[in-house]
Amino acid sequence: MNILNWNKNFNRLREAVSTQAPVELWRTAAQKATWQGVSIALLATVSTVASMDAAAVPLFARQTGQNCQACHAGGQFPELTPYGRMFKLTGYTLGQRTSMPVALMAVFTSTSAPTNSSPNVPGSPQVGGVGTPNNGTPTFATASLFAGGKLTDSIGMLAQYSFDNYAGDTGQSGRMFSDNTDIRYAKHIINNQTDLIFGFDANNNPGVEDVWNSSGAWGYNVVPGSAGAGPSALQPLLLSQGLGQQAVGAGAYMYWNKTLYAELSGYRTGDGVFSFLTHNYGQTYIQGTNPYVRLALTHDWGTSNAMVGYTYFDANVYEGAVGSSLVDEHRDNMVDFQYQYLLDPSVVTVEMADANEQIFYGGGGATDTINTFRAKASYTYQAHYGASLSYFNASNTANNTSFQGCADGTAGNVGQCGAEGWTPEVYFMPVQNVRIGLQYTMFSTVNGTTLNASQNNTTMLYAWTAF
Amino acid sequence: MNKAILSAVLGAALLATGCSNLQSNTASIRDLNDPSVSGHVLAEQVCSMCHGVGGNSINPTFPRLAGQQPAYLVEQLKAFRSHSRSDVAGYQYMWGIARSLTDKQIDELAQYYKGQIPVPGPARNAGLVAQGKAIFLNGVEATGVPACASCHGPQGYGHDGFPRLASQHDNYILKQLSVFKHTNDRYTGMGTMMSPVAYNLSGDQAREVAAYLSSQP
Repeated sequence: MNILNWNKNFNRLREAVSTQAPVELWRTAAQKATWQGVSIALLATVSTVASMDAAAVPLFARQTGQNCQACHAGGQFPELTPYGRMFKLTGYTLGQRTSMPVALMAVFTSTSAPTNSSPNVPGSPQVGGVGTPNNGTPTFATASLFAGGKLTDSIGMLAQYSFDNYAGDTGQSGRMFSDNTDIRYAKHIINNQTDLIFGFDANNNPGVEDVWNSSGAWGYNVVPGSAGAGPSALQPLLLSQGLGQQAVGAGAYMYWNKTLYAELSGYRTGDGVFSFLTHNYGQTYIQGTNPYVRLALTHDWGTSNAMVGYTYFDANVYEGAVGSSLVDEHRDNMVDFQYQYLLDPSVVTVEMADANEQIFYGGGGATDTINTFRAKASYTYQAHYGASLSYFNASNTANNTSFQGCADGTAGNVGQCGAEGWTPEVYFMPVQNVRIGLQYTMFSTVNGTTLNASQNNTTMLYAWTAF
Repeated sequence: MNKAILSAVLGAALLATGCSNLQSNTASIRDLNDPSVSGHVLAEQVCSMCHGVGGNSINPTFPRLAGQQPAYLVEQLKAFRSHSRSDVAGYQYMWGIARSLTDKQIDELAQYYKGQIPVPGPARNAGLVAQGKAIFLNGVEATGVPACASCHGPQGYGHDGFPRLASQHDNYILKQLSVFKHTNDRYTGMGTMMSPVAYNLSGDQAREVAAYLSSQP
């Protein structure tokens, strides 16, 4: 069924919605935080976006005039198709400048996570869920404004500004902040003999510039509130986005013959003139310029494409204030793999990432190691119905007692700690601007032990929309 | 360490800048709303991302355009632009691409692809190919399906508004036969001729013809 038919089907829904403006309905939903409110807002959103034609959807779709699934595998944000990767690597410049270079995204979630104060002790007092403080309560989780797109024939940008409704953890003191920003300059030399893209990139989150969705930004469990690796696992900086909106970086990249991708960037603290690209709270400082290297080999054949890649990131992070605290070196190495099958009506994506971080503590302290393995397979049918299955296994040593240790801070937990589990998910996209999904995260290990790990299992229902 | 890193980054930047200067005589413009950009540049900078450089696409979602008949391509691009061709993949991918193309750019795109050399498709099951060849050359008398070759030429190269089908992806041919058979999404221009043909072609016969055509040079 195509979107034109959906338009007809939703005419009746539109008539059922009150004449109140969608924005007002959203505000109502956020304030009341009830499913009734969320439902009304969603209905208003669905009926509004359904009345638009295929070209009247978010920023890049307006620019190219194409459907979301041209760039996103099965229309499923954020996984990219080969064309979507080319669009990003050529600097978001394909298409035509629009009179409205902005888009809005919002996510509603309801998370049920019976997490106790001690994840391995049954019956201990409840302290809140894994993904959201409003455990089990429908939540207007976050909203983002995207701006940018094609600026010149060679320069393009994606800038995200977000509102985290629960940054103040009570739902009453949300926070707006500068989110992922990616600015590019790109050239494409292409003819029957040569195919070379090269460009420059500036961004505020190591890995946000990547096009294979393996790093933390635009990666795994991108829906806010997803349980991910749970409450008791540390993750390498690249996956945890530990320097997201804390550092700014610039570098150069090239993609040759749709076969070899190489990038070298350097990151520094996003303070001073760059502070507009960082959170306006809790600045993390890094020492000097820190290297980020990305290599990938890709191949397209028939209905398939595959990638095997490597990422290196070495960041010297101050434990506290600049000049008055020790500096810890976080050295990340990640190997990742992706396979994609694309042929209407089916889209399959399989992703794997194996990341290792060595932490060398300043002052001659002990070293620690974090290992994280993640895999995800997703299937989408007709860009409407889909399911995915994710696996995560994160573990870390806790040799340095001044470091976080096991993430829950459990005393005496020196040695290995971490989490392992699976997240099955089903999702439905009635129109290309709306996705409704249900995730269930099953923990088999929490804090390095299987003891009562399953009591941390998390259910999350979410509704995502962008227009 | 940091100096070395900075040097490396700057070195890469300078290298890229050098490439940029080498590139300066060749357009690298992906603006679909600039009538001064030639069809040749658009074919390389935009169309190649899906249809492959030279029009030999890899994924069968996107038809192979190398060697395609110019009159056919012109009609299709104008049909996308006017939304008179509305098959699902067509509007999802092509309405936006074609929305601001000028007639001149469309003519140049058609001439560009006419001048490209088609790459033969992969070998297919010999039995299917033989059956498909018979249908392509002789039609199916029992159900009144005419010989495809009578319009598309004995080698499937097409002529004028009749498209080239040789070396086309078999999955693309199958999907288009289904569009002609089950919808009116391509009931425009020369496409109106295909509906009755596709209607009388069975699923197996369509697969046989597609296998034959995709394996032709």
